[in-house]
Amino acid sequence: MTPGRIAVWLLWSYVAAVFLFIMAPIATSFVVSFNVDRFPTLPLGGFSSRWYEEIGRDPMLPPAFRNTIQAGLTVSVIATFLGFAAAYTDYRYRFFGKPVYLTLALLPPTIPVVILGLAMLIFLSRIHLFGTLAAVVISHVVVCLPFAMALIRLRLSQMDPSLEAAAWNLGATQWRAFREVILPFTLPAILSALFITMAVSFDEYAIAWFVSGFEETLPVRILAMFQGQVSPRINAIGSIVFTITMTLVIMAQALLLLRRPSRPAPLRRQEGVS
Amino acid sequence: MTVRTAEAIVERVGVRSRVRIGPFALFWALPMVVWQLLFFVAPLCFLVVMTFWIVQNFRLTPAFDFQNWREMLGAGYFWQIYFRTFVYGLLAAATASLIAFPCSYMLAFRASFSLRWFSVFLLITPFFTSYLVRTYSWKVVLTGNGIVNAGLGWLDLGPFELVNNLFGTMVGYLTLTLPLVLLLQLFSLAYVDRNLVEAAHNLGCGALRTVFLVVIPSARVGLVLAATFAFILSFGDYVSPSLLGGSKPPTLSVLIVDVVKSGANWPDASVVAVVMIVTLLTVSFAALIFAYGGRGRG
Amino acid sequence: MMRKPIGPGQFLATLNRREFLKGSTAAAVGAAAAPALWTLPAHAQQNVLTLLSWPGYAAPEVVGPFEQATGVKIVGKEYTGGDNMLALLNSSPPGTFDLVLSDAEYLHMLREADLIQKLEPADFPMDDFWPEFQKFSGFWADNDMYAIMTSFGYLGMTYNADKLTREEMESYKIMWDPKVEKKVGMYDWYLPPMLCLSLYDGNKPPYDITDEQFAKLKETLFSLKPQVVGIGAFAGAFSMLSQGEAWIMPGTGAWLTLLLKKDGVPVDDIVPEEGGLQWSEGMAIAKATSKPELALKFLQYMASPEGQMRVAIKPAYSGSIPSKAGWKLLGEQHPDWSKLLLHELDKPNVMDEYAKGKIFIRDLPKQQSLEEWNQAFTEFKNL
Repeated sequence: MTPGRIAVWLLWSYVAAVFLFIMAPIATSFVVSFNVDRFPTLPLGGFSSRWYEEIGRDPMLPPAFRNTIQAGLTVSVIATFLGFAAAYTDYRYRFFGKPVYLTLALLPPTIPVVILGLAMLIFLSRIHLFGTLAAVVISHVVVCLPFAMALIRLRLSQMDPSLEAAAWNLGATQWRAFREVILPFTLPAILSALFITMAVSFDEYAIAWFVSGFEETLPVRILAMFQGQVSPRINAIGSIVFTITMTLVIMAQALLLLRRPSRPAPLRRQEGVS
Repeated sequence: MTVRTAEAIVERVGVRSRVRIGPFALFWALPMVVWQLLFFVAPLCFLVVMTFWIVQNFRLTPAFDFQNWREMLGAGYFWQIYFRTFVYGLLAAATASLIAFPCSYMLAFRASFSLRWFSVFLLITPFFTSYLVRTYSWKVVLTGNGIVNAGLGWLDLGPFELVNNLFGTMVGYLTLTLPLVLLLQLFSLAYVDRNLVEAAHNLGCGALRTVFLVVIPSARVGLVLAATFAFILSFGDYVSPSLLGGSKPPTLSVLIVDVVKSGANWPDASVVAVVMIVTLLTVSFAALIFAYGGRGRG
Repeated sequence: MMRKPIGPGQFLATLNRREFLKGSTAAAVGAAAAPALWTLPAHAQQNVLTLLSWPGYAAPEVVGPFEQATGVKIVGKEYTGGDNMLALLNSSPPGTFDLVLSDAEYLHMLREADLIQKLEPADFPMDDFWPEFQKFSGFWADNDMYAIMTSFGYLGMTYNADKLTREEMESYKIMWDPKVEKKVGMYDWYLPPMLCLSLYDGNKPPYDITDEQFAKLKETLFSLKPQVVGIGAFAGAFSMLSQGEAWIMPGTGAWLTLLLKKDGVPVDDIVPEEGGLQWSEGMAIAKATSKPELALKFLQYMASPEGQMRVAIKPAYSGSIPSKAGWKLLGEQHPDWSKLLLHELDKPNVMDEYAKGKIFIRDLPKQQSLEEWNQAFTEFKNL
């Protein structure tokens, strides 16, 4: 092996190690969820499905799960749309007050969620939205929007600006040029933004606890389990959710692979360097 | 030379500003503003106003009193905690960025199309598995008789203290930020113009030199953005410093939760929050200026 | 068309609805989800009582018989800290919550904030309760009753029974022993650990101390710092004890160890010679409820032997019950629980600690402000 190949090999091992770090808590959680002990210590106790049975019996979980999915899907669509609009505006136009405009979009994650939760609670109950899932959606869109904007803005900043202009010169309307040039180019970022915003909403509990009232989401349930009767039920829920998302990921992956030959994906341009 | 080509392209973005405001422009410019004005600015203003309120009979009572500000900023421990949190945030952002970079580089430049997409999806899944659950799981792995120490003990090493200290807190911060940093880095690297990289290679630039002279400058915006997000998230995170760091020494988010415990003292907590917001805004602006500002240099 | 002026609240609400529809029609899935986002809030429904409580009180194991007997559904919202509870009750629309379960200290705050109703003792079977709890100061003020006591427990120290003997644990002094250096865990709320240390200082009652005694208490607290491994609440506290990170935890008690013991973790709890604290939970009726009669009915159920027994065996966390009649029923129907909770009437039981005069109610500081105590704890963390 040449030194170069050793370096590449080392680097790939490094990549694996980083992914191991990211997946380690999830894998641990998986193992713990099937462990009979309430408080896992080494060596582990016997195999048991009792925690899964317990969450199966919990009447509060199905509505919470439904709420989470509804909120997550709605949040991802609205936040991605708003994030896209803001990113495109930032990319295309230069105008007075742009720093304020950008600040407005990027400020929310800087606010500690406990405090934002209370502020949202007071505000949303004044406009009669407290205790609805809409309250959760509204707060989460505010928090998720910056992530969507950042992802899409990143993609746009890599775009050759003459492309859209070329389309106009060829007689396309702004809308047409947008549809034919911008949209296909940003599609991967839009997809990622949809996923990321959904994921952020899926995991947010501090604000949701305050504004959701009785329309609780899954993370709020997990928080209650975490603070009350601590048990591997939280691991069991985590594992189920992880399995579902992994299945979706693999399905999405398969779909992408199937679609790939028929239609060159925008990322394809960068291949062939290695 | 190649760097200049890249910047010349980006430079042309400026041309795009000479577009008149019409329905098309408004369609894209307005939604975010409207949404944020309706649902964000109002709560935010309220948050600022609340710092001047007082708690009377355990109820928030409107007032205009600088007492909370004087009390909070006057407390000796406040600034200690502030600077500690700031340093922790920087440390987390730097660590996450450095750990992530070789990884995202490999995935962006050396991985096949499908592996790259798979890793993107893989990086999104942790977000769905509650951060609370993931942090709690680290305890099983890291404590005195956890998996890591058991493994090290087998090698006649340790046991090491891996939780209730800075190390534990950092593991938590990385759990929170690493997937996002990797994603943002991966995206910005994947969008780097391959022709530039190839050109550098053709001109006899070594792999490492290419990374520092071509790849990093071209992906600069994304790299800085990723680090900034990592800083923001770690700076405000409560779960890691409390659960894995054992709340000692505390960070600002721990302080907020503690302050509230003095009989629902939300105004004092809001003072801390406002200081945090101002700090994070300053840092974000500095980062943005750094990310975009250097663009003009040749 | 005439336009009626509308308030800003309504204006925002309509605008939001429009925005919202716009957003959801953008995605088929979102649109499908939209109708469910606008269901009637729970508290507006008939035959529903809403309860704001610590986790576990709205579980079927607790409220089941009441729901079956009356056809009323209990909808619970669980909080994880008294201050969040206070904020939620204060800032949500009036009438959102019919019932609220609270610790005694926070109940006083709720009363002062005018959020709960006065109760009529004659409405409840107070004679069923142990004499100590019939007019319990935590839930009474100026001869008025504000909550029905549901559950209580003692706080002293919890400890790892493999590493420490019961004799060693007889005094709080053990926490300064070199043997437990970096092995003392702290519960993450200033009140329980600080009151325990105040007892160690010899202050009785531990919350009513002069500024001089308070200065001494701070010294005691700060001197403990080198011994402390970490500070955590709930899951953090559980895991510190079960993972062996901490061998001692002051300010905690049976509520923590019962779950751990059941799982085979070698832990125990003790009220040391210097004394211990009592946590007490009670349920109150929210002032703004629209269903006071129904709420009262539920409170009566909670005070009944059946309701009391159900509280004792609720799966979420364990506590003693103040009703002697409840003890009796528990002994008949769940003898194992009766034994575990030391609720056997004819044997040494939890009420003995009372007789020894070792138990003080966990109360808020009297001569100093909450902030002063809380700040001392923050300083301690920051040392």
